[in-house]
Amino acid sequence: MTDDESPGDGPSTGSVRATYDRIAAHFSKTREYAWPEIETFLDDRSGAVGLDVGCGNGRHTELLAERCERALGVDLSREMLATARERSAERGFDYGLAQADASSLPVRNDRVDIAVFVATLPHLPTRESRVVALDELARVLSREGRALVSAWSTEHDRFDADEGFDTSVEWTLPGGEGVERFYHIYDPDEFRRDIEASGLELVDFEVSSGNCYGTVRPE
Amino acid sequence: MKEDLLDIVCCPLDKHDLELDATEREDGEIVTGTLTCTECGETYPIEDGIPNLLPPDMRDEAPA
Repeated sequence: MTDDESPGDGPSTGSVRATYDRIAAHFSKTREYAWPEIETFLDDRSGAVGLDVGCGNGRHTELLAERCERALGVDLSREMLATARERSAERGFDYGLAQADASSLPVRNDRVDIAVFVATLPHLPTRESRVVALDELARVLSREGRALVSAWSTEHDRFDADEGFDTSVEWTLPGGEGVERFYHIYDPDEFRRDIEASGLELVDFEVSSGNCYGTVRPE
Repeated sequence: MKEDLLDIVCCPLDKHDLELDATEREDGEIVTGTLTCTECGETYPIEDGIPNLLPPDMRDEAPA
């Protein structure tokens, strides 16, 4: 557990990136399939441009590429992007990739018709940076655009808390070495409040498999 | 990256257009080059076919 946010050894964006750079190859192998909640959100949706923020190995960017004329996956970790590039080449998917920060998206205003922002928001180190990232999502979505935002929740069996909290969760590499990842675990009311505090409006909300899922549109 | 990605991406700082300078191309993709913001002049590298569009102060942070 850590709640120290001092630069360098706290849960900074840099340490989350360094962790994913380190665990990318192994992490990618354990993230083979899309989550069912994301498939449900994408059902019957299509558009010109799809965006996956925190794309990891691209398992959801692939679904966007199938439904949109063009798709883009962005991630903070260069090593994760390398796994996405390899996987998309192997599977014959054609989408763009860029290294980027969710709180300063290099994407044009009103450009995106469908976005997924899955299991990425909880890695941002402060509430301010999380709300800024939600504002960025609002900025890039078109008027009719919709996005799915997900976050690990206090409703998950592994947590015994009613209110949101900061923690670090260990990833175990083959061989047994543990690598820490920063997480903000959201309580459902807090998740809704952060979305309402941003330029997004909640269209639909559910807690499923211990995660909060919000379908959102720009205000 | 493909050149038409420029229709979607922009400068992460001021959200203005980026200008491409490709130094290496392969099969219609830009492998190496730079993207320069037409407004603030900030330059973003393209390496191994993937543009690094992090804000400059995050670019060198915490390598693995």
